[in-house]
Amino acid sequence: MSKKECIAMLLAGGQGSRLGALTSKIAKPAVSFGGKYRIIDFTLSNCANSGIDTVGVLTQYRPYRLHAYLGSGSAWDLDERGGGVSILPPYATQEGGAWYAGTADAVTQNLDYIKTHDPEYVLILSGDALYRMDYRKMLDAHIQNEADLTIAVMPVPWEDASRFGILTTDDNDRITKFTEKPEKPDSNLASMGIYIFSAKFLIDALEEDALDQRSSHDFGGDIIPKALAEGRRLFVHKFHGYWKDVGTIASYHETSMGLLGANPEFDIYEKSAPIMSNDTTRPPHYIGPNGRVDDCLVSNGCEVFGTAKHSILSTDVVVEERAIVEDSVLLPGAIVKSGAHVVRAILGENAVVEEGVKLGSVDTQKDTAVVGNDVVIGKGE
Amino acid sequence: MINNKAIGYITANYTALKQETLLESRPIASVPVMGRYRLIDFPLSNMANAGIKTVGLVMPGNYRSIIDHVGHGKDWGLDRKRGGLFPLPGNPYGTTKAGMRFLLRDIISNKTLFQRAKEPYVVLMGSNIIFNMDLNAIIEAHEASGVGITMVYVKAERDHEEACSLVIGDAGRVQKVNEGCKYGDNKFIDCFVINRELLLQIIDRYAAADYLDIFEAIAADFSRIDVCSYEFKGLAVGMFDQETYYQRSMEMLDPVINNQLFRKDRPILTKAHDAPPAKYAAGSIACNSRISAGCEIMGTVRNSILSRGVVVESGANVVNSIIMQGVIIKSGARVENAIIDKNNVVPANTELRGTPDAILSVGKAPMA
Repeated sequence: MSKKECIAMLLAGGQGSRLGALTSKIAKPAVSFGGKYRIIDFTLSNCANSGIDTVGVLTQYRPYRLHAYLGSGSAWDLDERGGGVSILPPYATQEGGAWYAGTADAVTQNLDYIKTHDPEYVLILSGDALYRMDYRKMLDAHIQNEADLTIAVMPVPWEDASRFGILTTDDNDRITKFTEKPEKPDSNLASMGIYIFSAKFLIDALEEDALDQRSSHDFGGDIIPKALAEGRRLFVHKFHGYWKDVGTIASYHETSMGLLGANPEFDIYEKSAPIMSNDTTRPPHYIGPNGRVDDCLVSNGCEVFGTAKHSILSTDVVVEERAIVEDSVLLPGAIVKSGAHVVRAILGENAVVEEGVKLGSVDTQKDTAVVGNDVVIGKGE
Repeated sequence: MINNKAIGYITANYTALKQETLLESRPIASVPVMGRYRLIDFPLSNMANAGIKTVGLVMPGNYRSIIDHVGHGKDWGLDRKRGGLFPLPGNPYGTTKAGMRFLLRDIISNKTLFQRAKEPYVVLMGSNIIFNMDLNAIIEAHEASGVGITMVYVKAERDHEEACSLVIGDAGRVQKVNEGCKYGDNKFIDCFVINRELLLQIIDRYAAADYLDIFEAIAADFSRIDVCSYEFKGLAVGMFDQETYYQRSMEMLDPVINNQLFRKDRPILTKAHDAPPAKYAAGSIACNSRISAGCEIMGTVRNSILSRGVVVESGANVVNSIIMQGVIIKSGARVENAIIDKNNVVPANTELRGTPDAILSVGKAPMA
């Protein structure tokens, strides 16, 4: 195996329990987003667009759909000789087997994978956010700083800082303090959970951490505080672009709606770093004679005979005659039958709203209505 | 399932009699159809859906756009270690004669494909008549009947000068193949199954008549070869010139017709792209239209088919038209009864207007 400069480890094993019904049967990174994409597409596309050709995807929770979606990685041009996408689920050894117990533990259990590729640097990512980032720039900064660890950060409003892991730095971007959800933040630089480690330091730190019985084997909780305490060279890399976690129903809905409009903050049409996906081959969508589509994203395979306003219609969605869909996200294969009215809702994959049913409320104080995958909503439900 | 009974052979070098705008920059086989597809997708997908893993593709002289589209066949599952997609040399001038889609000379010069195969049958298809068919049903019928050749036909719904018709006798035996096709005739849809050994015999026996279509060459020997027919009850749409291309495309706007071609159980596969979902601005209007990924609609689109990445600016109107990939229709422009080929920019407040009887066509523009 030839030596690699930088490989990525993508943590994709979490349940995503805050997405509720949307992740009851499918891992969060495989949840549909933005019409034709799945959440992991954004991170994988960032890797491909940053020139990273070796990505280990660590999976655990309900992995089949995610594994099937990743396939050989060819959808992201990551079917590379001597690299590409490798799916890394928990496995058994002669000593037994164990689930991934924390973010650091998941990587520790795959140190063989890292050692096989023998990289100089390891990029640690998670597949649960919407952003477009050139990891190459972060890597260049890491190399220039002769850092052991570089953490991508973004400035957040001061009033929100106590919700994040906050990093305090000196004038040279070197980290002096890390506080998880500080009550009185002295910095507004929030960790994005994106790390570049020098590989040798990462391997040493993880092997030590594995032996520490008091550790919870978490990057934020254990590895970073310890490295800081030891006086290691930890730096921040400031990111000024758009970054949104899509891990809750509210943020999923809000972030989806943010893709609409004339000048969205995250533009899926941006051509310099295209978002790639493993989409199914479906015909162009059809708008019927009485169909009306206003301020929407509409994917291949859709059929719109009714009205869709300010909504996202994913692949193969059907909106029947006289049905109305507003401020909603319809995941692949969802059907809104004739005369039904769907407002501020997320319809899961292949969900059906029966004829004449009213679902959701315009009242933004109320929670977004969520219908799970394959669920049929009839009258009186 | 992997099909161990048949290999495929597709002729993509049919050349139209009329040299029209659409064909200035491409062979018929790679003419875009229904937004994201090209005609060649249909025979390739029918074969892929039947599990056929070895497909020879006979190329025209101007094959660039076909190679660009099919590559090594990955999108049809034809990037194989065993088998795969084999681009084959063909008569570069194509087979311009009406009704000729299976030039014997091309079959002879690609004998190696048939010699190397182990499968007992070969499915041969053209690329001008599109349909979605279960080829295994035909292969099974062919095998069960024990004949040499099975030709697939539909009952013609209209006159069709460029198609062939079959004269069918007792027990479905084909007695004769006629050039041209009238309403109600048995229209041959350029699809047949032949025993591979028989094909190799024909290659040797009729070598002297290599300038003919295979069915012309063997015309006198139909009864001896035992040529049978198979009626396809589904939709088969022939596209041989710009006029029929436009008319048939417009008919396919009807979802009932469209859904006969595009089925989830037998998908028509095509080259994958990374175009984002189509985007509709507030105040845009679209009706009875088929619109591809990557389109941005700010104006009005009616009764039209838009390929990938078309932009219709605010105040622009597109009516009864076929708009190819990457066309930009500027603010206030009007396009009606027209075919606008790739990469054109229709300037603001201009009109490009044909009539239902005389469709306006604008050729492919150079890349910006």
